Amino acid sequence: MIGKLLAADLLKMRRTGIWWVVFIGPVGLAAMQALNFGLRYDYLVYDAYAGDAWGGLIESTGLFVPIAIYLAMTLLMSMIANIENRQNSWKQTLALPVRRSQVFASKFLSCLIQLLVACALLSGSTLILGLALKFDGPIPYLDLLTSGLYPMLAALPLLGVMLWLTLTVRNQAIPIALGITASLVSVFGASLPHALPLSWPGFVAHGQQTLTFVGLGIAVFIVLYLLGSLHFSRKDVA
Amino acid sequence: MGTWISALRSERIKLGRSQIMLLAVIDPVLCAVIGLLTSVGSGEEAWAGLMLAMVVLHAMLFLPIMTGIFSAYVCRYEHAGGGWKQILSLPVSRSALYFSKLLVVMGTLALNQLLFFIAIVGVGALKGYDLALIPWGDFGIKLIGGFIACLPLAALQLFVSTMWSSFAAPLVLNVIFTIPNILIANSATYGPYYPWAQPMLVMMQAGGEYDFGAFGLPIESLLITVGGSFVLFLAAGLTYFNRKPV
Repeated sequence: MIGKLLAADLLKMRRTGIWWVVFIGPVGLAAMQALNFGLRYDYLVYDAYAGDAWGGLIESTGLFVPIAIYLAMTLLMSMIANIENRQNSWKQTLALPVRRSQVFASKFLSCLIQLLVACALLSGSTLILGLALKFDGPIPYLDLLTSGLYPMLAALPLLGVMLWLTLTVRNQAIPIALGITASLVSVFGASLPHALPLSWPGFVAHGQQTLTFVGLGIAVFIVLYLLGSLHFSRKDVA
Repeated sequence: MGTWISALRSERIKLGRSQIMLLAVIDPVLCAVIGLLTSVGSGEEAWAGLMLAMVVLHAMLFLPIMTGIFSAYVCRYEHAGGGWKQILSLPVSRSALYFSKLLVVMGTLALNQLLFFIAIVGVGALKGYDLALIPWGDFGIKLIGGFIACLPLAALQLFVSTMWSSFAAPLVLNVIFTIPNILIANSATYGPYYPWAQPMLVMMQAGGEYDFGAFGLPIESLLITVGGSFVLFLAAGLTYFNRKPV
């Protein structure tokens, strides 16, 4: 049943611009680094990151990965919820013989698929950028692959909050404003206390205690997901 | 003119009891927290130092992005439930409607700046700075300059907000162009021509040797970018809105 729901959700997302966001985010990040490296190539490659150009590229992309992921989670979830909100179709969707928790799960899975695609695109476009800039040395495939994925997993707590808020609050301005505020504050992640989940992707992007924060992120997400699913299953549909 | 004022009044009624005021509060409150957590010196430099600490988050990221949120917000009622059809069937010209929406966005932005100023003074007073030493002229120029520098962004965001029915879609555009501010601040070559960086460039001028990159430019050259992009975005938005099929 969940497969059919997911297929229906992905079908509803055609021609809504959602996939454009998935595409533009990672490619935009790579384009920004292309400008950064293109304009100060000599300084960055021979001075700042001398000897480890690939590492330097991944590190300077990593500065922007946490905020990009947070913003993507906020905006993608709001666009997914907007499909149902705009056509007033919550009633119709929930009147189908499907469990509400499955509807919730299917919305989550479609957002997760989009985030994973975005991470893969980020790895791909960073690889292409590195090759285009003719960096020396072995290509760090593993680092490239995890440069988007690990921060994304550590950022999952926000997705838990966004799932709950966007799918239950009708006025999308509230969840979006909260999500964007959280994203902007995460820029200053390094100076936030470790206990605040908002700072976790920042630590992961800098390679500090990666697996601890990834595990914590997933654990907190599961709790938030269950709470959100519980509320969604019981709330009144207007 | 008469219909314009009526349109403005109806905008105000639509926004009454909505949470738009709540949105204008988020940013000053967060900046106040930052101001309370940072310690800057005392004496005559204290106020300027406090301003510099609090303005980074505000001018670099919040102000441009809040502009987008306010613009999307004033179009929310029209996109929900066929409101465009209803409001455009009233005897009000489309330009008047567009300008009244723009003015509401500008008003909210001005309120946001005012609250930010109150936040600075409040934090300063809490820390026991001498209220007599507030550099009114400097603060005034920065706050009003930052407000003016946001107007092109308001015009652009209103344009895309009337075009796209989703609340999130215009914000995607807004966010994509605002995030590079973090990098562009360092560039003396490109900063002056990047509309999204103007609020930051206007509000973060420290004077003296503290200025680097694109900071410390004469205010006239910034206003050329601001004025030029405002005219461009406003003309594009008005042309589109006057021809928009409902």
